[in-house]
Amino acid sequence: MTESEIRESISAYIRERFLGGDHKGELEETSPLLEWGVLNSLNTAQLIGHIRVAVGVKIPAMEVNPENFRDVRSITALVTRQRTAAA
Amino acid sequence: MSSRPPQSLSAPDALHRPVIEAARAIPGRLAVAGPDAELTYAELDRTANALAHRLRDLGVRPGDRVVLYAAKSAAVVAGMQAVLRLGAAYVPADGSLPVARVATMARDCAAAAVLVDGARLATTVAELDGGIPCADLSQEPDPAPAPVDAAVRPDDLAYILYTSGSTGTPKGVCISHRNARAFVNWAVDELKPTADDRFSSHAPFGFDLSVLDLYAAFSAGASVHLIPQELAYAPAQLVDFVHEQRITIWYSVPSALTLMMRDGGLLERPAPEALRTILFAGEPFPIAQVKALAAQAPGRRLLNLYGPTETNVCTAHEVTPADLDSDCPLPIGRAVSGDRVWAEAPDGGRAAPGEEGELLVDGPTVMLGYWGREPHGDGPYRTGDLVRELPDGSYAYVGRRDHMVKVRGHRIELGEIEAVLALNEDVAEAAVVVTGTGMDARLTAFVVPAQGREPGVLGLKAHASRQLPRYMLADDVRIVADLPRTANGKTDRRRLAAGLEESDS
Repeated sequence: MTESEIRESISAYIRERFLGGDHKGELEETSPLLEWGVLNSLNTAQLIGHIRVAVGVKIPAMEVNPENFRDVRSITALVTRQRTAAA
Repeated sequence: MSSRPPQSLSAPDALHRPVIEAARAIPGRLAVAGPDAELTYAELDRTANALAHRLRDLGVRPGDRVVLYAAKSAAVVAGMQAVLRLGAAYVPADGSLPVARVATMARDCAAAAVLVDGARLATTVAELDGGIPCADLSQEPDPAPAPVDAAVRPDDLAYILYTSGSTGTPKGVCISHRNARAFVNWAVDELKPTADDRFSSHAPFGFDLSVLDLYAAFSAGASVHLIPQELAYAPAQLVDFVHEQRITIWYSVPSALTLMMRDGGLLERPAPEALRTILFAGEPFPIAQVKALAAQAPGRRLLNLYGPTETNVCTAHEVTPADLDSDCPLPIGRAVSGDRVWAEAPDGGRAAPGEEGELLVDGPTVMLGYWGREPHGDGPYRTGDLVRELPDGSYAYVGRRDHMVKVRGHRIELGEIEAVLALNEDVAEAAVVVTGTGMDARLTAFVVPAQGREPGVLGLKAHASRQLPRYMLADDVRIVADLPRTANGKTDRRRLAAGLEESDS
C-alpha cells in the first residue's frame, strides 16, 4: 500500500463509520478529529483495529496519544512510520 | 529568631489547611506526582505561596473566584491551594474544554482572574478580550515567598464545579469549606489513610470525585498520583499506572475499572500488590464486574459511593460477601458525611421501605447553591434520583426523574446538547438520546435541517465541540426529516432510542 492509499483507507473508514458517510465531503486531512469529537477514547480502538486488518500495521499502545491521532495526516504518518519500522 | 511557628490564620477546618500542616510536619514527603512534576509538601507549599502572591498582584481578593484552565498537572494542584490561601474560590476547567465554554464560566462567576497553562494562554487571552486578567500557571515561582494563609469562615466559598444545565448553559455548583471538609473528614475516617498511602487521581479536577483524591491524601500526608486526561481511558496504560505507581487507594467511575478489566489485562496480570482499596461512584457498576474485581484480591475493600455534585458523597456502601453471592445490583448504601437521606413518596410524605421515592439529602455537604441564583438555604436537596429503601435501611438506586443522563459518570442534560446544536444556522431542531450503559453508553443526535440548508455531520461536530465538553459530544449524528412526537407534541426521545436499540441488535 502506498502512503496515499493508506491515507485514503483511513479517511474512508472515518467517513463511513464516524461521519455517517460524510455526504457533504467535509473531512479534510487536517480536520482536528479529537478536538471535534470525531475520534474519542472508545472509537479510536476501532480505527486501530481497521488499520491492523486493512493495512496490516499494528499500532503499539505507547503510540496512541493525542499528537499521533490529531488528524488524518498525523495518523497516516504514524502508520507509515510503524510500517517502515516493522519492515 | 523566634522558635514559635509562624502564626496560621486559617482554622483547622479550612480546606487549604491540610497541605500547610503537612508541609510543617513532613516537608520532604511526596505530595503530588503529575505529568509535569513531582512536588514534596514543602515544594507544594512554596509553589502555592508564590502563586498566591502573583494572584494577589493581579488583584485577586478574599471572596473572589479564579478559573484554572489547564491540563491536569501538579501545577494546577498548587494553583488550587494558592487560590484557597487567598480566601478566594477556585473554578476548575479541564484543559480539554473548548475555550468558549471556559470564557462562559469565567464571565458567569465574574472571575477575578484566569490561571492558564502556557499552551492555552494565547487563545484564552484572545477569547476573554481583556475582560478578565490571565496569568501563566507555569511561570518560574519566587524561591522564598512569604506564607499566605487567609482566615476563612466555614460557609465561605471554596470552589465552584460547573455541571451541565438543561437550558443550554452550564450551572455552577458552589461548595463551601464546610461542605468539602464534611465529606473529606468522612473519607479519612472511613479509609484511615497514612502518609504511606498513594492515591490515584483519575477524574478531571472539574469532577467532584477528584475532591477525595486530593484532600483525603493531603489530610493524611499521603501522595496523590495524577492521571492525565488523555490516558484516562487508555486501558493498558491505566493498568501499568496502578502497578508502576504502586497505588494503594483507587477511586474512579466504574467505566474505567470495566475498561481495565476488559481491555487492559488487569485480571490477567497478578493483582497489583499495593492496592488495598477501590472506590467507585458516578454510575451503577454491574454486579458481574464487581464480582470479577473482588475475586482478584479477596482482602481488598470495595466501596460504592453515591452523591450528585450538589451534595458530594452522601451515601456509601461497602461490598460484602453477601453482595458477591447475589445477583442484585449493589445498593448505594446509607447516609455518610454527617448527612441525612430519605426517600420522598409522590404525595410528599416519606416513602415506606420498598416503595419508590425521590432521594432527598440534608446535612453539612449540601451545597451553598448555584452561582448567580438564590442560595439553597436550609432545607434538603432534591436529587432527582429515584430510590427504594431496602429491608436493612440502606437504599437501592432505581433511575432518574428527568432527562439527565450519565455517560461514564459525567452527568449530562440532553437539553443542553440539543440547545447548542439548534444554535447552528443549518439546524431547525435537534433531539439527543443515550443508549447503552457503562463503557458502551453512546450519545446519538437527531438533527432536522433548517429550511433550504444541508448540515454536514462533521460541521455539526465541529460546531458542538466549540461549546461543549468532549464527554457531551454526540458519538453519532443523524440527519432526519422530522422528529417523532408524543401525544402532547413533545419530542419522543423514547421512540428515537428504541429505534436505535432495535437497529443495533
